[in-house]
Amino acid sequence: MVGNNGVGKTNFLEAIYVLGLAKSYKSDDDDLIHYEDEFAKITATIVVGQRERVQSIIISEIGKKAIVNQTEIKRLSDYIGLLNIVAFTPDSMNLIKGSPLGRRYFLDVFLGQSDRAYFLALSAFKQVLKQRNELLKQYGVSHKIDETLLDVLDQQFAQYAQIIIHKRQAFIDNVKEKATTVFQQLTNSDSLLTLKYLPSIGNDIIAVLQSKRKSDLHQAMTLMGPHRDDFEFYLNEKNAKDFASQGEQRLAILSITLGLVDYLSEITGEIPILLLDDVFSELDSQKQNYLIRRLIESGAQTIITTTTLSDIMSANLVRAKRYTVAKGTIKEEQPSGQHD
Amino acid sequence: MEYPKALEDLIQAFQHYPGVGRKTAERYALFTVNQLDDTMVSNFSDALLQLKKAIHPCSICGHLTDVDPCVICSDPKRDQTKIIVLESAKDVFSIEKSGNYKGLYHVLNGVISPVNGVGPEDINFTSLVKRVHDDVVKEVILATSATQEGEATALYVNRVLKSTDLIVSRIAYGVPVGANLEYADEVTLTKAIENRRVY
Repeated sequence: MVGNNGVGKTNFLEAIYVLGLAKSYKSDDDDLIHYEDEFAKITATIVVGQRERVQSIIISEIGKKAIVNQTEIKRLSDYIGLLNIVAFTPDSMNLIKGSPLGRRYFLDVFLGQSDRAYFLALSAFKQVLKQRNELLKQYGVSHKIDETLLDVLDQQFAQYAQIIIHKRQAFIDNVKEKATTVFQQLTNSDSLLTLKYLPSIGNDIIAVLQSKRKSDLHQAMTLMGPHRDDFEFYLNEKNAKDFASQGEQRLAILSITLGLVDYLSEITGEIPILLLDDVFSELDSQKQNYLIRRLIESGAQTIITTTTLSDIMSANLVRAKRYTVAKGTIKEEQPSGQHD
Repeated sequence: MEYPKALEDLIQAFQHYPGVGRKTAERYALFTVNQLDDTMVSNFSDALLQLKKAIHPCSICGHLTDVDPCVICSDPKRDQTKIIVLESAKDVFSIEKSGNYKGLYHVLNGVISPVNGVGPEDINFTSLVKRVHDDVVKEVILATSATQEGEATALYVNRVLKSTDLIVSRIAYGVPVGANLEYADEVTLTKAIENRRVY
């Protein structure tokens, strides 16, 4: 998709992302609805092999509704994961530089798409955490605590936290391995890109909660747990946040992105859709070449936005459909010459 | 335009019901005015008043009843050694309908949820502890929902009763009877395998 800045290319990618994940990576739900309208609706026909399905997501003030082939899907958790999406956008850069919150969101988005047990454990965990924090807050007011009830919530906390931590570790190990290879091929070097999971709480969760109970009560919140997890990027054993250049960080995240495409294909058996927002302009010709080759190998339907079509893209993306975007409208370019 | 006061009062009364919003309440109220004759309306209002006078929680088990103790608690043929602990009176009716349980009940009338401001002291729990302290009751079966709150409530009751000689059990989770395995979600299947039993 070719067009100047501010004509709506990113909006289009965002719409595809929301269709898959029922949530945007950059906007609040309210902002997805046009200011004069009551609701937003995104519909697409998804073709996988010989099969076809129509998916819609409707976002309104009163909530979200997911529809597949004219049947409403009652629980959003049954809908998310049907259409898997991997996106690389200018916001992706925050993955290294930004706050732990964004990194936890990243873990939750990809694990949530590919692993229903993770999704359910995470929702249950969030609820237990809310209950536990509320109980701690009540202690702040009354200075009385039902220790048995806190024990019960600790037990539930540990039960779900254990699943989440275990699955996050496995996910990071798996994606790390894939991203390391991509990074070396992309940079044509033996530089070592790794990820390191930093769980906030160790193996014996109940024991840790017990030992920290006093400070939890004092602060009126749960200080340790999956809601405080983080992970870090290392380039040649140095923390990428502080020691990698802007360009290296970019390539690291691009490597993770491509690794995720393979990860989701492997785990779910369906190749995800890849969204690349304004990536090519920042890459030299050798890396552009590699990226294009890699995209073709992965088999992922990829939607690329750019302000100008480089010579390399033009020459290599012969089978790609091309669209011009201007003032919120998208028009397919008629293939010229021998393009198919 | 606003509704006349009597109509508005009725609309607001209907809105107290679960699942009834403003629109439905308006429909019910207008239906009452237009379609119901005086006898029907007076029967309806009598039924409401009678209900509140006659029905109350059983002083032993907390189930809804019009006699005290309720017919289940006062039935000597029921197995006095078993008590099923439930969230609401509705669940008693469900289990009674199944017809195979012959023991007693205890209705908590709520679940523990600090977020909703409900602690153990806000549900019908202390009476359960007192109840099981005779030597007749041998087993307490926890049948609260498989939600986070239902589970927390069951865990809590278990912890409090654990020190006694009682058997405390939890109802099984798993595949619904008559359902194909392919339609069960992964978590239900995992639970079903965990809770399997030897033939």
